[in-house]
Amino acid sequence: MNILDRLVKFDRRILFVFVALAVIIPLLIPIGLPVDITRPVKHVYDRVESLPEGSIVVVSVDYDPGSEAELYPATEAFLEHCFRKNLRVYMMGLWPAGPKLGNMALEQIAPKYNKEYGVDYINIGYRPGGPVMLVSLGRNVADLVRTDYAGTPIDSLPLGRAVKSARDMDLVMTLSAGDPGVLHWIIYFSARYGTPIATATTAIMAPQQYPYLSSRQLIGLLGGLKGAAEYETLVERKARAVAGMDSQSIVHLLLVAFIILGNMVLLYQRRKK
Amino acid sequence: MKRTLPIVIVFACGFFMIIAFFIPLRGFQDVSQTLQNWYIGVIAFFVFIGIFNLVKVNVDKIQRRLRDWQYNVILLIFLAIMMIAGFVGRPGGGVFLYLFENFHIPLGATMFSLLAFFVASAAFRAFRARTPEATLLLIAAVLVMIGRVPIGYYIWHGFPDLVEWIMTVPNTAAKRGILFGADLGLISMALRVLLGIERSYMGGGKE
Amino acid sequence: MSVNVGVWIASLLTLAIYSFLYKDNPFYKIAENIFVGVSAGYWAVILWFDFTWPNLFEPLIRQGNFIYLIPIIVGLMMFAPLIHKISWLIRIPLTFTMGVAMSLVILQRIQGEIFPQLQATFLPLSGVSPAQLISNLLIIVGVITTLIYFYFSKAHKGILGVGAKLGIWFMMIAFGASFGYTVMARISLLIGRVYFLLHNWLGLI
Repeated sequence: MNILDRLVKFDRRILFVFVALAVIIPLLIPIGLPVDITRPVKHVYDRVESLPEGSIVVVSVDYDPGSEAELYPATEAFLEHCFRKNLRVYMMGLWPAGPKLGNMALEQIAPKYNKEYGVDYINIGYRPGGPVMLVSLGRNVADLVRTDYAGTPIDSLPLGRAVKSARDMDLVMTLSAGDPGVLHWIIYFSARYGTPIATATTAIMAPQQYPYLSSRQLIGLLGGLKGAAEYETLVERKARAVAGMDSQSIVHLLLVAFIILGNMVLLYQRRKK
Repeated sequence: MKRTLPIVIVFACGFFMIIAFFIPLRGFQDVSQTLQNWYIGVIAFFVFIGIFNLVKVNVDKIQRRLRDWQYNVILLIFLAIMMIAGFVGRPGGGVFLYLFENFHIPLGATMFSLLAFFVASAAFRAFRARTPEATLLLIAAVLVMIGRVPIGYYIWHGFPDLVEWIMTVPNTAAKRGILFGADLGLISMALRVLLGIERSYMGGGKE
Repeated sequence: MSVNVGVWIASLLTLAIYSFLYKDNPFYKIAENIFVGVSAGYWAVILWFDFTWPNLFEPLIRQGNFIYLIPIIVGLMMFAPLIHKISWLIRIPLTFTMGVAMSLVILQRIQGEIFPQLQATFLPLSGVSPAQLISNLLIIVGVITTLIYFYFSKAHKGILGVGAKLGIWFMMIAFGASFGYTVMARISLLIGRVYFLLHNWLGLI
């Protein structure tokens, strides 16, 4: 029995071990591959850079723990950028776990810049209703938002009073893992009210955003963990996303090797017949 | 009544909302906004009924001692703990947050990360260039997989630009075409629902 | 190595889920059921405190605003199937929500997606660089041929057949790109968990 015959009956758990090692080893022994910056990410960065101090950025945390590994680093990097530029952050979420995850990021980043809750940033919590809620929110925030995520009356907070409708929002950044998410922000909010939308999505969703980038309905895109790593590089905050890039590179090479090997087995089987 | 009233509701609400979009008068806009706000209120109950059904299904499994019923007990225990922690202690802190950070987040994140291993297995076993179309798909996938990570840039500085072109041109073109088709289908379905032609969402029965 | 009990719980639950890779086992099943219970409980609590109480019940109970009775009653009709005689009442919240949602689908899909995407497809074929001309042409051809592929009212023969075939080629490239990104996504999730185990739990990085 030659090697290709053995490969036909391969126990996939051996593949699992290879994948695990390909992830673990570069984390333990970093290679330090440089992270290149792509245009869609740079556009997000440039837009935030161009916003005047005090501008209000809506950060919509539209993901749950299942996508935390890809989108949480982007959340922290984006918040770091906003606070460094003295922008005001109005956080919310279309997914139930989103605002809590966003709050964890706020608690990490806001104290570094001495930001005050209620003045420099606010978290209004989970907003159910998806697209219908977005249409309603853009017209009159007070109809839907009475308290923040902790139950504090929204009118008692300066930033809560400052946001009355879409007109008061200078940019929306949606960190999106599916539905409801970026698609609804574009179609139901931006199309109606004209607010510019930027997004960080899971890598699975990234290819679907390119038609919106091309039509300028999206100003920029952070796709997956690589997008987060690019943003971390731009804001000079080398954290979890950058640390994961070596592993990402090695595993991808490994999987390409698996694909080539699998096709060699296919050719071998065809020849055998 | 049981069939007519729901159809009247869907027609009236739907077409009022469409008409209100084109009439900028305050009254129309206020009613439209009210309907949207009520929609969100009603949607919340969809979640509560979902959780109620979850409890009902699990209790039923436990009562009938079906296979692996013991795990359903664990499910209900943790559901109860989470709800008690939240409703008694409030979602802001303490036990609820602890459970969220040390149970919900790691379990959710790990559950989805399992797929990484199965993708690797699929890459070896299933991703085969059997036809010219499959070969094209495979080539595009390999180019993206290498070009979208730092090693791609390291191998050849032009790799990321090549991948960006693939995403911006052929990918955009195909996705846009699919998008048009899907949207036209969705709009025609929406019209069928508003006109009462499509009623499958109402549930079965002869009434 | 961490001495935080929470980190240990999270790490052991992570390993319990990963034990499934060897084979299905009780540890995995326990972790899976804990996940479902905790997720459902979390959602119920957050929905109540973030929205249902402050936006529906508090205005009704504390401010006496009786208009909020309407969405509450309509919402409660979702429980109607529990009583056989009034089970048909569930159609009311279903049709109400469908009516509102579908109207917005019609309006916003046209305004927010079809028109802008159509506009973005009308790309210049003169006054641009040769490279841009090729890209623009490819986009226009790609959109049209993809749509031709999904036109099933006529047989894909002759010019229509050529168009459909070309559409398939564009879609294969798009699906290949999507597959590449999907692989990237899955691996990223694994990297996140392994990072947690190595950094937060074991303290090795």
